[in-house]
Amino acid sequence: MLEIKNVTKIYGEGETKVVALNNVSLRVDKGDFIAVMGPSGSGKSTLLNVIGGLDRLSNGEVTLEGKRIDNLDESAFVDIRRGKIAYVFQQYHLIPSLTALENVLLPLIFAETGGKAERALDILKRVGLEKRAKHKPSQLSGGEQQRVAIARALVNNPLLVLADEPTGNMDQETGGKIMHLFDQLNREGHSIIMVTHNPEIAKYAREIIVLRDGQVIDRINQRGGEQ
Amino acid sequence: MKLYQMVVKDIIRRKRRVLFAIIGVIIGTMTVVGIFTIARAGEARMYEQLEKYGPNLTVIPAISNVDVNLGGDLSLGTLSVGENCIPEEKLPEIRRITDNAIREALGIEDEGDIATIAPKLYVNTEVKGVSVMVVGVEPKEESKIKTWWRIREGEYLERADQALVGAVTAELLALNEGDTIALNGTDVTVAGILEETGSNEDYQVFVPLATLQGAFNKEGLISSMDIRALCNACPVIMIADSINNDIPGVRAIAVKQIASAEMDMMGRINRFMLALAGITLAVGLFGVGNTMMRSVNERTKDIGIMRAVGASRNQIMRAFLYEAIIIGVLGGIFGYVAGTLLAFGLGPLLFQISAISYVPQYLPLALGLAISVAVIATIYPAFRATRVKVADSFRSL
Repeated sequence: MLEIKNVTKIYGEGETKVVALNNVSLRVDKGDFIAVMGPSGSGKSTLLNVIGGLDRLSNGEVTLEGKRIDNLDESAFVDIRRGKIAYVFQQYHLIPSLTALENVLLPLIFAETGGKAERALDILKRVGLEKRAKHKPSQLSGGEQQRVAIARALVNNPLLVLADEPTGNMDQETGGKIMHLFDQLNREGHSIIMVTHNPEIAKYAREIIVLRDGQVIDRINQRGGEQ
Repeated sequence: MKLYQMVVKDIIRRKRRVLFAIIGVIIGTMTVVGIFTIARAGEARMYEQLEKYGPNLTVIPAISNVDVNLGGDLSLGTLSVGENCIPEEKLPEIRRITDNAIREALGIEDEGDIATIAPKLYVNTEVKGVSVMVVGVEPKEESKIKTWWRIREGEYLERADQALVGAVTAELLALNEGDTIALNGTDVTVAGILEETGSNEDYQVFVPLATLQGAFNKEGLISSMDIRALCNACPVIMIADSINNDIPGVRAIAVKQIASAEMDMMGRINRFMLALAGITLAVGLFGVGNTMMRSVNERTKDIGIMRAVGASRNQIMRAFLYEAIIIGVLGGIFGYVAGTLLAFGLGPLLFQISAISYVPQYLPLALGLAISVAVIATIYPAFRATRVKVADSFRSL
């Protein structure tokens, strides 16, 4: 489904040059749940940025369903964000003036498929927050906000969910619940790539990729996932 | 939910910020509507006064020195009555010149008479032992020019042997409807008495022109004529010039010349006020632009989030433009109301115009203006908003 071929990303020039990704190749199939691990500066966030179209490659290519997406311009990438790739952020990034339901509706509004409140409510139900639908983000706990963000990511039925340290702002228990949700969603067929530095969190994934100095140094297959 | 519904919700939640932008639009629109409303009332009053002046042109003999009153408060100096008369046969030629000029100016094909031409003969005579100015008029034409005449008692001139008496003369001579007065031996009956007009007319007696000509052996002679073109835009000065050039022995005076000085002043004040309104609008423009720019800066993160969940640049632009249109519509409506109130408040102070009326057709004008200001002011901030990239607002993904 997603192929990353010989991707290199270099920041800066000359003396300040930093090689964030060095000739990385990776294949993601439908139903995969990959955790990208590694110390700070290993390039794991850069990898996610490159897949998500937030950063340009220095070299190599990224293809999604056989089509290159690394060379798309801003406006062409809009279609990718509408239903192919969705993000879940460490900081949740909900719009504070909108309710939980409206935040989930947002992708449907922009996709102009007719913002169906029922669809958004169904997804909120799926993440267990239907009773919080009318609450503003400020009235929700961190775990609840992240569930809203996950619902928002899923509402357009994306091929792939990119999650950047989704439990980074949570205590262990809340983080565990979020990971449990990710695990369930993966079992329902959603493909997920998640960046984390926490081995406990990475255990929920089916495959762990370890990066160091911009290179893949290890791949751990844990088919069946944790538990 | 649609994009515009989301914008409306957002505006409701950010009331105060949006209110600032709306106030900026209101002030600009209010000034323009207020000025337009006052100017319109002022112009209406000016035209009303022009109407009161009656004729647009007066034709008198080339030499003159008796008071001629044109009605209203307007005196045209003096005109000598007696030997210095205009032969009646010049009337058709004057009509031809006048009508042709109007036809040309307005592109009228019609062959019939256009201008109203009211000839007059002034005779000073004694009635009941008192010296009175008797004016011979063509009743039909005269009534078209003296639009301000109101009959207090009796009726207007119908027959050749009737007289219409000015209010003061009627009182001085104790004349009533049906009384008979002798003019140089010719008896006429008082058909009606005019209401006071506050002008020389109050002292005059009006009889049909032919009757007066007959009574004083002045057949075929008139002292002056009033010409009323049918419009305010008629080329009265041009008509006056051609009469003066083509017909010897008469002098045509364009009455509008006198009023036009006042019109000119009014126009100048209007232009000054409009410039002022333009500045206010510009200030409003910057006010809205500033508020919008701040709103874009404050919401950079939100815009990035919207982009991340699938918003196109176009949609971001549209969201801001919807906001601008809502600000424009609200600003336009309240600006119209505020401007009309301003006119009611300031009109009497500035121009002694008491008869200010609200002008419904300024509402679309106000809306158009307000929406334009809001949209123009929003274009740049909205453009900046479309340049926000997902990566800018949260580098950390």
